[in-house]
Parts: sequence; structure tokens; C-alpha cells
Amino acid sequence: MSWDNELLERAHKIIELYPQKRSALGPLLYLAQEKDGFISDDSIVEISNLVDITEVQVKSVSSFYSMYKEEQTGTYLLSVCKSISCEINDSRSVINSVKEFTGLENYETDQDKLFTFEEVECIGACGGAPAVQVNYETVEGLTPEKTIEMCEWLKNDKPEIIVADQLQNKFGGTKSFDWAIEDNTGSAYTVPGFQNIGTAKEKDN
Amino acid sequence: MSDQIKINVNGSEIRTDSDQLIIEACEDSGIHIPRFCWHKRMDPVGMCRMCLVEIETPRGKALVPSCTTKVSEDLVVDTESEVVKKAQEGVLEFLLINHPLDCPVCDKAGECPLQDQTMAYGPGESRFVEDKRHFEKPIPISEIILLDRERCILCARCTRFSDEISGDPLIEFIQRGNKTQVNTFPDEPFRSYFSGNTVQICPVGALTSTSYRFKARPWDLKKVSSTSNCSSMGCSVELNVSQNKMLRILGEDNEFTNQGWLSDKGRYNFEYLHSEKRILKPVLNNDSTNEISINESMELISNEISNDENSNISFIVGHNSTNEEYYALNNFVENLNKVNKDLNMDVYLSDDYLYEGFFHNSDLLGKVEDLDSVDTIILWAQDIKDNLPTLYLRIRQAVKNGKKLVIFGHTNTAMKELSDSYFGHEIISKNLEFNVEISEIPNFNEYINDKNVLAIIGKSSPIQNTNPISNLVNYLDQNSNLKLLNCFSKGNTFGALQNISLVKGLNEFINEFDSSEKNIVFTIGSNPVNSSIYSNQIKDKLINANFVVSLDLFKNETTELADIILPTTSFGEKEGTFTNLEMRTLKQNKILPTPGSVLNEWEYWSMMLNKIDIENSYESELELNLNLCEDYLDKDNVPSFDNLNKPSNLDGVLNSKSINIEIENVESGTLEILFVNRLYGDSSTQINSPSISMLGAERFIEMNSDTFIKRNLSDYTVNLVQGDITLQVKIKINNDLPNELIIAPLNRRGFRDIDTTKPYELIEVKNLKELSVN
Repeated sequence: MSWDNELLERAHKIIELYPQKRSALGPLLYLAQEKDGFISDDSIVEISNLVDITEVQVKSVSSFYSMYKEEQTGTYLLSVCKSISCEINDSRSVINSVKEFTGLENYETDQDKLFTFEEVECIGACGGAPAVQVNYETVEGLTPEKTIEMCEWLKNDKPEIIVADQLQNKFGGTKSFDWAIEDNTGSAYTVPGFQNIGTAKEKDN
Repeated sequence: MSDQIKINVNGSEIRTDSDQLIIEACEDSGIHIPRFCWHKRMDPVGMCRMCLVEIETPRGKALVPSCTTKVSEDLVVDTESEVVKKAQEGVLEFLLINHPLDCPVCDKAGECPLQDQTMAYGPGESRFVEDKRHFEKPIPISEIILLDRERCILCARCTRFSDEISGDPLIEFIQRGNKTQVNTFPDEPFRSYFSGNTVQICPVGALTSTSYRFKARPWDLKKVSSTSNCSSMGCSVELNVSQNKMLRILGEDNEFTNQGWLSDKGRYNFEYLHSEKRILKPVLNNDSTNEISINESMELISNEISNDENSNISFIVGHNSTNEEYYALNNFVENLNKVNKDLNMDVYLSDDYLYEGFFHNSDLLGKVEDLDSVDTIILWAQDIKDNLPTLYLRIRQAVKNGKKLVIFGHTNTAMKELSDSYFGHEIISKNLEFNVEISEIPNFNEYINDKNVLAIIGKSSPIQNTNPISNLVNYLDQNSNLKLLNCFSKGNTFGALQNISLVKGLNEFINEFDSSEKNIVFTIGSNPVNSSIYSNQIKDKLINANFVVSLDLFKNETTELADIILPTTSFGEKEGTFTNLEMRTLKQNKILPTPGSVLNEWEYWSMMLNKIDIENSYESELELNLNLCEDYLDKDNVPSFDNLNKPSNLDGVLNSKSINIEIENVESGTLEILFVNRLYGDSSTQINSPSISMLGAERFIEMNSDTFIKRNLSDYTVNLVQGDITLQVKIKINNDLPNELIIAPLNRRGFRDIDTTKPYELIEVKNLKELSVN
């Protein structure tokens, strides 16, 4: 069995949240991605046993959604929005700056397994376009310069937990709107930080 | 019943059930709507959009998929308007974008819905100049199925079949958008008992089978409808033959039995017909060089029979003969007895699961279609999924439609997930007896009291006292509105029971065999030395017998002991009738010529009677058929060839005869091993069919994890040791079994010699690595 007891315990807690076992499939795939940085075949076998469906049914779901990665990602997943609002606000130059800094093309990961770069469809931050997500934590109002600065910071400081507010304060520009609540939790893996499934991590500062 | 309503299709009015889909209503009225994904035995999905039709709505005309839209009163449908035609052209153009159009090398070409419908409804010309998407050309997704993803049009018929109908979803869509493909999980092949059905329902050439690939073009095939003798379900099939070779078996939609589906055994177990190993001439003393003519062989046998006045003649029959052949055998026995009263003759059926059954009350006997109308289905029998695979599909379907399923005993653990109640080791002991009073079984009464119940009842194990089964049936009869299916799973067992005056079992053969007298034994399409738990005793008796005649297709463990082997015809080479487990008689048709100097079984019986100068022999199957029809209880609707060939009777005729089985109830000793027959085994027909020969090779046993731990095992490969027998087996964990009871496959090589009532040891295979040469 490839999952350790701690992970299995988390998995069972997630399964209990749903009336049917198979409904827990989505969150469990995030656990798998948290563990390996992608959805491994071993994890698929594990999940299929946990929720009583066949391996290929799990694979069918995991390969359908692009946020479940089929290949190893780097520590930091840079998702740059290319949809219309960002495009109008010059996301092209943000994309180019990331490409230039990392030397990566779309969906590529560098050799040190530090960065994975992808161009994505709308990430729901049109008011603060152009926007970027680092491990699904959103920064809005970026400029090419600020983007490079952010990449350098990630490369040099190697922060363990990425928190959206912190990124925004450091590198962001115009925000869609201000929630006025400080959010101290972020994500530590290439998985969105959800508190109810335990992928969100609190930043201590 | 749903109400009848009227709708208007293409200007004419049609009447239809109110709960039908537009596509069904049109189909029933003879209006064809093109489709790829819709299949009448599966839920609609609206995947391919080929069945778009125009309907009138309050907001004007609208295009809707007719496979997902229900009819409503006064609905106006147009299936041929310009808009519909344009939509069909558009859909086909899209479907063909990535289709490779490799029709010249595709097996489906000629019977391909995509090809046909492109001709009929397509745009005629392609505007697509870009590169097509490419996948690796056919990849094997199991031992018998190949998948060509380029040809796939994503109709989801195969994936829906494996999920909805057979319940083993091992193929699914992977990826999405342009990259979407059907595939299996790595190292988890599409090993389903029903995988062949996906090949049949695939509307393009994406799924192909190893046995038919590149063998023929559809327009060269000769076709005939027939009935499969893979199991006693009597599935309707279509035999496809080219140049006198059987190339393919397809399922036919018989509402009452298989509803279009087949098991892979029923579908692919035919290559043996053309095996080089078939016996084509009578053989003397099991010596292939000693071939004799049919006339000589008849001479020898009839001399042997008429020489001695007081000999015992035993007939061990198998389950692959037609009703006519059983009837001819019975006629042979009766006429011989008339001439010589001192001859002691008995017919034994070679099936360890045979017992007296419940035939005394014909009102009690149920039908397969009762599955769809009763409240509760009670199952206590041998493993249904392995032995009556298409009945398993019917039960699955019934459960899906809300019928309650209650399972007893330890053989049908594969169906536990389907069941509403599974009575395992707490209720049924290791020896297949009740641990508690039937009336005390928790929650049982609520399933049966004053309910309509269909009980599928048979022996679970070759050695089993049948009193508990009888008690259960009595209890059910008293407390519910009971119908019952006698569960003997093999081929034409019911045809044998109907047409042979008295049938006994193999245990009786052993007990009644008196070696002090002269014994002549006929084995007819049966291999008791290899297919029974009494194998060793039967072998002794056959060695002891003075004269043994085997009628068979292949040399096997039994024919080795024969003085004369008579080659017989097989499925597809003979015409006759077949009776299934609900006493439905169906037609089996001949499409292949008889090979070599092979005769039908009945012809041998007739010739022997002629040699002994007895009249009353028969000249043809037709004559036999007409005669056997005289004994049916319902004289108005007998399964004569004429009657069965009527269009209204293509689904078979229900009729019964009196049945006499004489089998002694054995004491159930202490059962240590529960034998089950697996779908795939080592029958001579299967091992001589190359495409499926390897599927019955694996030797495994099942046990629960407590037993595994208690026996101090750590490895899943062990030696099963009993006396001087040692078998290397794999262990599968099955926690629905009682402690210390293991399940072993009776029809896999090596297991027959094991005594189910004696203790055994499991010894780990040590130093397996050191043994390897490298």
C-alpha cells in the first residue's frame, strides 16, 4: 500500500463527509496530488479501493480535469491567465516574462523541479487582471517586472507555504475588491488550499 | 401499463406508449432514425447527436435528440425536414473529422453503422484538409479484445455496457476534448466475462476480437439463427460461417432469455469445430492408426450387445446433445429392452450438480421473465455468474429495476454486492446446512411474506445434502407466492431430462456398477473421467468394464479408456431442439457440413438398432422431432420444427414433459473444500479453441483472511497438499466465506483428484527464487 496511515486517516475522514463513498473522489485526488505532486497510478489504485470504484473510473475523472496533474509538477505551479480580461490587460507580456525567466513552454517543468508553467483559462480574477496563480493562490494586477520579481523571490526564498494575501502585498497591483479579512492560510503543495480536506496550511508569522 | 397516446411523425399519426422515447416510438412504427449511441437495452445518453429530429414546441420548431426526448400527447415530429438533414450532415462531418476512413482494412466495413449512415445521411464530400488525430493502432485491452482508438466515435456504448449491464467497468473514457479515448487502466485489462458484447455493439471497427479479426468480410458470411448450448439459459445466437468455417457467433435479442447479450464463453467457444485434433473416423482401441469404417464399428458394437444375454449397459450422457438425440438414445434403450428383457440398462447424466430437483408440481415452475415481475428473488445455487452468465445479467437488470435479491450460501459471493440480503456463514454452515430455523432468519420474512417470489434453486456443491434446500422451498411455498427455477446450469440438461425416461447421476453409476457381471458402457459427449468429483472411481469402473464406446469430438481422458471411439457432430453441424432451464424449447440449426465420416448421435443409435434387427429406428431429425413432440403435456403448442420456425415462435416455445430423476440424497460429510465450476476451464472444446484456450489456466483457491492468518500463511502462492496430491495454487482472499472453507475450481486441471471432505494442507512454496535457472 502506497499511502501511509496518516494519509489514509485523512482519506477516511473525507469519505465520511459524503453520503456515498464515490463522492469523495475529487478531494481524495487532491490528497494524492499533495503526496506526489501528481496523480500517480499507485494512488489511483489506493483511491479505487477506498471508494469502491474501479481504477479506470478514477483515472477517467483524474484525466478529465486539468487541475489533476498527470505528470510530476515542480514545487511551484505558475498558472498565468490567458482569458479575455487578462488578455486585454496585457497578460501576454506577463506570460512572456514567466517564460523568459523560467525558460519553460506551456505545461513544462524545469529540471530542478522548481517551477511548472501553464497558461490557463479564466481564474475568476477579471477585476484585477492580469492575474497569476502560484499553487492556486491568486495574485492580481501584475506587471512583467513584478512577475519576474515574484519568480526570483520564489526561487531564492523557497517559501514553504504560499499565501495569496502575502503575494498580493509583495507583488500585486490593483485588486478586484478587498475582502478586508486577513487570510493567513495558503497552500503548501500544487493543490488548492482547502480547509475542510486539510490541504490548507496556516502561515505563522 | 402505461397509456397509449398518439403522436404525429412526418405527417402521419402513430400510436405509442406514453413513456417511450421518440426514437423507440418511431422504431416501433417502422420509421428509422439514424443513431450510434442509443441501444434499446441500455439507458440513453445523447452522446452522438445523430438522432436529432425536429419537434414543434410552443416556441417554434426545435432540434432535439430523439433518444433522450420522451413522447407526449399530440407531439409533432419531423425526422426528414431540411433542418434535420442539415443537422445529420453536420453531425456526421464532425464524427468523421478524426475517423481514419481505413474501411478497406477494417473488419466492420460492410456492416458498419458509421459507413452505412454516412452513405445514407452524410454530406457526400469532406471539407476536412487538416491532419487527423493519431493513436497507436490496435492495442490489446484483454486477451481476446483489441481496441483501435482512432476509429472510435465516442458513443460510449462499450463503457456504458460494462458499467450498466455487466457491472465490471474496466474500460472508461480517459482524457477529454480532442484527446478523449476509451482505454483501460494500466495492468488492469478488460477481463470481463461479457467483454465480447462490446465488440458486437460497437458501431465502428474500434473494438475487434482476436478470433474474428481479418478472417472474413461481412458480405461473404452465411448466417443462421440458432441456440447456444454454453449454458442451460439457451441464449439465442446467430452463427456466421464463411467457406464452411464457423467464424463468429453473435448474440440475438431474445426478449425471454439473453436479450441480445452473450458470455464470452458462449461467443468465442467455437474454434474447436475446425481443430485438427477432431476425431473424423471411428477409432479402435484408442489407437489413432487403427481407424475403422462406420460399418465395421457398428458391427463390432452390435455383436457385443447381442452376444451376451445378461449384460449391463450403462449410458453416461453429456449435455451437448439435442433433444432429438436424447430421444433417439431413449428409443434405443427402450427397443433394446423390448427384445431382451434381461438387459439391464440405465442412463446417467454427467453433472455432479444434478439432484432430484423440484419438478413434481408444474404450477411451481417459474420463468426467467418472472425476474422482472416478482418482488423478491431468492438464490441458493451454484455460482450463477460463472455457470449461467446471461442469467446473471438478467438478475442484475432485475435488481437495478428494484427487485429484492436474497442470496444464501457460499457460492454466489460475487453477487453479494447486488443483493439486499446475503446470508453467509452465520445462517448457512460450512456444510451448507441451516444454522438457524428458517423462520428465525433475521429479516428474511419481510422479503417473502405474501410477496411474489422467484427462487433460483440448485445444489451449491457436488456433495451436498439437499434436505435444507427442500426445507427452504417448502417454507417459501407456504409463506409466499412462489415460482421456482431449477438451477442445473449445463447445456441441454433439461432436454435430457425431458426426453430420457429415467435419468440417474454419476454417483448411481458408481454404486450400481457390478464388476462381477458383463458391463458395456457408452459415454456420449461426456468426459466423466475429467469433469466429475468421482473421476477416479469412474476411471476404475471404465477400466473394469468389458466394452466401452465413446461418442465424442475429441480424444480425452474418457476416450482413452474406450474400445471404440465414434466421432460425432457438434453445435452448428446438426439440427435439433434445445430446452432451457425454464422449459423453453428453442431451435438449433445446422449451417456447417459434417466433417469427415462423422455422424449424428441419433444416426449411430439407428444404425445399431438396424444391425440388431430391430425396427423402430429413425430416418431423420424431423421424424425424431415429430415423435418426441407427442409426449409434451400441452398438445396445442409443441416445439416441432415447423412450429419453431414460425416467426411468432422464434423466441422458443414453453412446454413441459414429465421428468423422472432418480438420485440418492447423499449425507453431507464435513465439507473442507467447496468446488465451483468456473466459466473457463479445461473442457476439450475450450482447450481446442486457441483464442480462449489460455483463459482457464490459472489455478486459484479462495479463502477468508482469518483462515489465511490462522494457517500461518504469508505468501499468496502455496502448495495444496492432500495425501500424495500436490497442487501449486494462488490464493485469493474472499471475506464472505466461512472460516476454514476454501473454494476451488472443479473444472481446472488438477483439482478433480482432491476429496472435498478430507482435510488438506497448505504449504508455502519455499525458495521459489532459488529454483529458477537464472
